Amino acid sequence: MMEKNKTEETYQRFAVLHRLLHVVVISSFIILSITGFALAFSHQGWAKILVFLMGGADNAGGLHRFFAAFFYLGVMVHLLWLMYFKLVLNGKLTGPDSMFPQVQDFKDLYQNFRYIFGKGAPPLFNRFSYLEKIDYWAVMGGMQSMGITGLIMWHPEFFSQYLPGYFINIANDFHFHEAVLAVAYIGFVHMSAAHLVPDVFPMEKSIFTGQTSREKLMHDHPGEWQRMQAAVKQPVAGEDS
Amino acid sequence: MKKNTFALIALGAVILIAAAGLVMHQLNGTPETGMGRNCLECHRAPNVNTNEGVVASNTFCFDCHTDKSRSMRKTETAEVSLQMVPDDLEKGPHRNVACVQCHTDVARTPHRTVAGASCDVCHPPHGEAEAHDPHRRGACQSCHGNYKTVHLDAADGRVKPARVDTEGAAIALIDHQMVDTAKAESCERCHYKANPVGAPAAVLPSKSALCIICHNAPLAIGHPVFGAALVILLIGVLLTLRFWFLGSVQGEKESLHRKIALSSESLWRTIFSRQFFTLLKIFLLDVVFQRRILQESVQRWCMHALIFSAILARFTLSIITAVSHKLVPGSSWAMALVDKNSGFTAFANDILGLMILCGILWAVLQRYILKPAHVVAEIEDNITVALVGLLVVFGFILEGARILVTQLPPEVAGYAFVGYPLSRLFAMTGLDWASVYPSLWYIHAFLGAAFVAYLPFGKLRHVFNTPLTYFIEEIAGVKRGERV
Repeated sequence: MMEKNKTEETYQRFAVLHRLLHVVVISSFIILSITGFALAFSHQGWAKILVFLMGGADNAGGLHRFFAAFFYLGVMVHLLWLMYFKLVLNGKLTGPDSMFPQVQDFKDLYQNFRYIFGKGAPPLFNRFSYLEKIDYWAVMGGMQSMGITGLIMWHPEFFSQYLPGYFINIANDFHFHEAVLAVAYIGFVHMSAAHLVPDVFPMEKSIFTGQTSREKLMHDHPGEWQRMQAAVKQPVAGEDS
Repeated sequence: MKKNTFALIALGAVILIAAAGLVMHQLNGTPETGMGRNCLECHRAPNVNTNEGVVASNTFCFDCHTDKSRSMRKTETAEVSLQMVPDDLEKGPHRNVACVQCHTDVARTPHRTVAGASCDVCHPPHGEAEAHDPHRRGACQSCHGNYKTVHLDAADGRVKPARVDTEGAAIALIDHQMVDTAKAESCERCHYKANPVGAPAAVLPSKSALCIICHNAPLAIGHPVFGAALVILLIGVLLTLRFWFLGSVQGEKESLHRKIALSSESLWRTIFSRQFFTLLKIFLLDVVFQRRILQESVQRWCMHALIFSAILARFTLSIITAVSHKLVPGSSWAMALVDKNSGFTAFANDILGLMILCGILWAVLQRYILKPAHVVAEIEDNITVALVGLLVVFGFILEGARILVTQLPPEVAGYAFVGYPLSRLFAMTGLDWASVYPSLWYIHAFLGAAFVAYLPFGKLRHVFNTPLTYFIEEIAGVKRGERV
């Protein structure tokens, strides 16, 4: 019922572009994992059913490549946004408002473990906690390596002009194991840390609505709240990478 | 004793020579008789899915087909040699393909082919991007093979490599080289003045992606004029967007970035809310079924719906065609949709074109002859009506000319109930329609380009503006009659 309260103060946490890109990532990630694992485990019964439903292995592969390109298009839009943010809006790509790793993140990690074992106060997370940064960089880095290994398997003739043939097998192995890692990471770590935590169960809505309440901001990102209070006289940039 | 020994040796030598001669004779036997071959030379099936099997299979074929005298074949008129050069194959893209993978019906008795080489075992038919739709009636080899002369086979109405040259001498179709179809010579085999296969006298560029409004079209620019039209369209859209953001957005007057951020925020909140269903309702009732025009006047609704619904149907059909050809290129329904001569497509295109034409004629009648009080014929309206009208008229003329020059029989062309009568009419003029056809095509294409380029500037802007106005009015709660 508190959500319905119009007078409650809200703060913008994610701009429309970032919400849109998150939807792009969700949809393509799900389709990529379904088509990819259906092809990788093609001898299993469930995979046969899935591949049949997708109209055969050719179509499953076609869907996989299409959504891979769609996913990477999202990454490129994001990189263009970063350029725009830096060059046109004169934003800062480092510092507490960014995804850039900082020494404070390691201190927060240490502090968090102390807190978990009952040895101290919880860390005062800033705009992005170290877990959120890991989420971001896992996708950002994973997209590059999955993209390269995927491209090698997509155009083996081209790449075998420059690389030994066994690189295609290596790419295949990397692609598969990294896919397992990515699905495991998203399924266990991201889901439980971002969406299934008791505070926000069943899901964290701010990535879809873009808004967060003052109470939630103070609870989840006290560091950011403190900075906002300190800089209350001067306006703070609303968006970030 | 010595004499006997000598006689025995001589007799032995004679027998040996005779036996060798007999064996040699048998080895030279023809493949039809099978004389001199081991049973298993023919009656075995190397696994042609492996390179090893391909080599084994082809070696057997090449045994005769690299030898002139052992590969003679009688045709109706002459005897030709089916001797081929293995290098033609070895240097091309089919080097790892067995002969019998394309020549699917030759490994049998009698050793003759009926179907010829079948490309469609592996290659799905290509779409509008590579070649215009009428090329569908050509055998693959007539473009992709290295044959200079092609002819129109009267039996099945298909264009094929000719079996006799212009002097009447028999040609053996033994060349296995693939030609680069991007080169002009490959097109000029058919596309010249007074050609016998019914091709237009000039090579025409590919359709453009812009043509998707009414036709199945590839993702290509096609001709520089289409490129220019696309640029003008994009500039027009950008100018319109800029115009929309000139005013203030929720109080923000200066920063374009803030204006875009604020309006995208409210767009997001509208789409991901219950209001989405309101928008869906408006889209169905007011955009697709044109409720507001119907409320104003049934006559105006009929006139507008004739044009609008027909264009919408052509657009939907083109999208379905393009997508289904992309997903399942070989399927019978994708082929029927792509082929302009198939009954459904020909009929649908003609009836939808006729609907647009009727709507335009109705509008012309209202504007210039009946002239009721509420109709004001502005110059922008006149340009729009003229563009769409001419586009459809030239579309029909082009269809008639195409049916005429490609010599389509009436039982196929009859489904084009406008185009076919037109083609009979054109046949009476005695004009060289194959030479006129390219000019007609360019007129239709450039009118189409002009239509697309004009979209964001003239009255056609209503295609985007009116639905948007309906949506914004509904969301902002503006009552009718209170519009600004």
